[in-house]
Amino acid sequence: MTYQEFKKAVIDISRELQVADYELYYTESESTSVDTFRQEVNEYSTDSSMGVCYRCVRDGKAGYASTENLTEEEARSLILRALENMKSIESEEESFIHEKGDVYQVLPEDNGREPAGAELVENALALQKELYEADSRVADGTQSYVAYGRASYALCNSKGLDLEDKSSYALCMAVALVSDGEEMYNGYEDRDGTLDSFDLKEIAAKTVENAVSTIGAKSVPSGKYNVVFTGRAFAQLLTTYDSVFSAEAAQKGMSLLKDKEGEKIAADIVTIIDDPMYKDSTVKRTFDGEGVATYKKNVIENGTLKTLLHNLSTAAKAGVKSTGNGQKASYASNVGVGPFTFYLQPGTGNEEEFLAAAGDGICIKDVSGLHAGANPITGDFSLLAEGYRFENGQRTVPVKNITVSGNFFTVLKEIEKVGSDLKFIRAVGGKCGAPSVLVRNMTIAGE
Amino acid sequence: MLSQEIIREALLKALSTGADYAEVFAEHTSQKTISLVSAKVDKIADAVISGVGIRIFKGTRCVAGSTSSLEGAAVLACAAKVADALQDTADIRDIVLRERIFGDIHPIRIVPESVENSYKIDYIREACQAAKDYSDEITQVTGSFLEVDHKILIATSEGLFTQDRQIRTRVNVTSIASDGSENQTGAVSPGARKGLELFDDFDPKELGRKASKQAVTMLHAGYINAGVMPVAIENGFGGVIFHEACGHSLEASGVALGQSQFCGKLGQQIANTKVTAIDDGTIPNGWGSVNIDDEGTPAQKKVLIDKGILKSYMVDKLNGRRMGMESTGSSRRQSYLYVPTSRMTNTYIAAGEDRDEDIISSIEYGLYAKEMGGGSVNPVTGQFNFSVREGYVIRNGKICEPVRGASLVGKGSEVIMNIDMVGKNVARAQGMCGASSGSIPTDVGQPLIRVSSITVGGR
Repeated sequence: MTYQEFKKAVIDISRELQVADYELYYTESESTSVDTFRQEVNEYSTDSSMGVCYRCVRDGKAGYASTENLTEEEARSLILRALENMKSIESEEESFIHEKGDVYQVLPEDNGREPAGAELVENALALQKELYEADSRVADGTQSYVAYGRASYALCNSKGLDLEDKSSYALCMAVALVSDGEEMYNGYEDRDGTLDSFDLKEIAAKTVENAVSTIGAKSVPSGKYNVVFTGRAFAQLLTTYDSVFSAEAAQKGMSLLKDKEGEKIAADIVTIIDDPMYKDSTVKRTFDGEGVATYKKNVIENGTLKTLLHNLSTAAKAGVKSTGNGQKASYASNVGVGPFTFYLQPGTGNEEEFLAAAGDGICIKDVSGLHAGANPITGDFSLLAEGYRFENGQRTVPVKNITVSGNFFTVLKEIEKVGSDLKFIRAVGGKCGAPSVLVRNMTIAGE
Repeated sequence: MLSQEIIREALLKALSTGADYAEVFAEHTSQKTISLVSAKVDKIADAVISGVGIRIFKGTRCVAGSTSSLEGAAVLACAAKVADALQDTADIRDIVLRERIFGDIHPIRIVPESVENSYKIDYIREACQAAKDYSDEITQVTGSFLEVDHKILIATSEGLFTQDRQIRTRVNVTSIASDGSENQTGAVSPGARKGLELFDDFDPKELGRKASKQAVTMLHAGYINAGVMPVAIENGFGGVIFHEACGHSLEASGVALGQSQFCGKLGQQIANTKVTAIDDGTIPNGWGSVNIDDEGTPAQKKVLIDKGILKSYMVDKLNGRRMGMESTGSSRRQSYLYVPTSRMTNTYIAAGEDRDEDIISSIEYGLYAKEMGGGSVNPVTGQFNFSVREGYVIRNGKICEPVRGASLVGKGSEVIMNIDMVGKNVARAQGMCGASSGSIPTDVGQPLIRVSSITVGGR
């Protein structure tokens, strides 16, 4: 059955089973993607998926169940499972079904036209051609990827809320393989937005440059170095640690920022913002996972922690208002807390200028192993990194096989410069961004 | 899930534009996660995942599609969409499906779904309570229980029609130790392709104490001095070194496209002669085991590396076409939404002949990595990393004080040459492995090994 039919069935069965407070959350997405190998299409994929999550609340306890199988029989099973799970909940945090009354922002008109599959193929092949033409060292195994998708998020509840956000996106990605005759190296680059906005030649050139610039990379002697993180590398770090700003993590003793609101926790030049309607984001959200209106907020302002992020439960416990950050990692997830488009506010200067300012050090362009090598509970990280060495303000040699170690909370305090070159990466709630950042005296392990 | 008639129609529809092979993968999965915080049930996520993934091949070209709906009309529409991407004329006119039943080597004694929440909660609560009681320095404990009941159906234009049911359970306890300004964590997370009989394998109190002991040990640990040194890596999850440094680069998904450090190396020595490595999807009740892979090929036990010589890649059907090789039963996908490709199952370094005490005493100054965290790799360059959850300094052949914050990085092809001592006691441990076809359960494993030289990151 369709979602509308399923929704009606859920409302009827909830009434019959005398469930007074409940919510139905629905997501639907469609996407088409193409990737290439040599000068041909390698894989063409077209996907359509949807799912619903039912949440009921009684005496402040919430029960959840979700499904992708929209049938009358499943509607009943969904509600019964949620009711059963609700009985097992013991947490003292109070859950709520949100009332009407919020003022919601309005999504800008979606100007992205929907490209035909053939056009995606054409673009992917054109990008692949550009990749091969960018440098004679580009080898087979180089791949381009172009996709288009649409998503919608809907929430209705027993208090009369009935909300829907829609979005669409085009995505373009390239991974270049280059060979110097002995070893293979790779580099990647991605863009999102609208298909018409992609400059394939520019993307190809950048991708290949990312690969070529690692040729001959070596380790460096272990020690303390001044580090310039590129925007991408620092955004990777920031998104890994976004849970430290969650009031849920703080209230459960899993964030060292517990009770630190109003305190100075970062350098003066650090302002970190969550903006669910950020202008360049392809996933703009007017309401969160509980139906609360979203809004832009400074989480850290000039070094001071202004607020943690809240959903209705954590806000009630703290005696504040929800910040509209009730996050569902997927439609099936329980409501947690998390940012949407989360970024370090740009300052002045860029990667190149920071090399000159630092004089001597390492620029880190990419970090890996974040899921294991960075711990949000302790703040500690020890991550594989690559980039290049700079001396007297000039790039010298590419660097690999090193680790950069430290503690996220210490890094926040020691950020010396924040650039203007803001770069976004994809993140759970939407996007995460940062400009280039200079931090002095970081521990690098190498030879 | 779907009638044979609908499936046959969908396969024919999918072939109607000239593909030479079509496959329907249907799935109905129920899974539940119960999470406890401070020994109280905090959240329960309870999901049904269902849908169909359809693929067609024409030579080495692949078209894939998926839909969340199991309704006949939606499945046929998905097949039509997939077919639309090719523009040829059909050369296959009819398909006769014959049902095939492969044996099930993973008996399930207690199907989790048939047991009420409270039974599962009691077990986790006992583990969490023991973790909390371990020390005054333990400030928080979280616990969780996961059950998955994954039913799959695979039918192909070659006439195969088969089904499998994969039940898995897993327990996690994470302890946080704190001195007021600093936190450290410890965790255990055993799992198996078993039902609730998993609970018989582990005393919950032991699990809780183990997590807390690790957290408290790390709270009082210093940082290791970064540098290059010999490292002894303990059995069990230590096997993540092979998984990252080598395993991913032996998957046909990368090898077939020239994206691996081990392309074209079959029959050559790629590892130290002490190293024999195996991927075995047939271990009864193993976390990463399958009866059949997600293309309907029976699971195999494959020797990947025999005394340092590369013997086999892990191959799926599509990449097998590219490489001119048969499938090794290695095709896996998280769900119908992901396009399957070659992946690991239970991958481990086989037992060697060195005694554990000789391995430790051989190291003048180095690191003993007792418990590992996860890691990742760039399969093209072989550059990998993984973190050490619980480590100790080795000085003059003796295990000394604990150290925190260490990570190991290197290049796969170099590091597996440097595995120059291999112990006798193999143990496996459970992980979730992420790649293009999603997050799937895999086991890693090894005996205690020595890596003669590797870069250790620390402070």
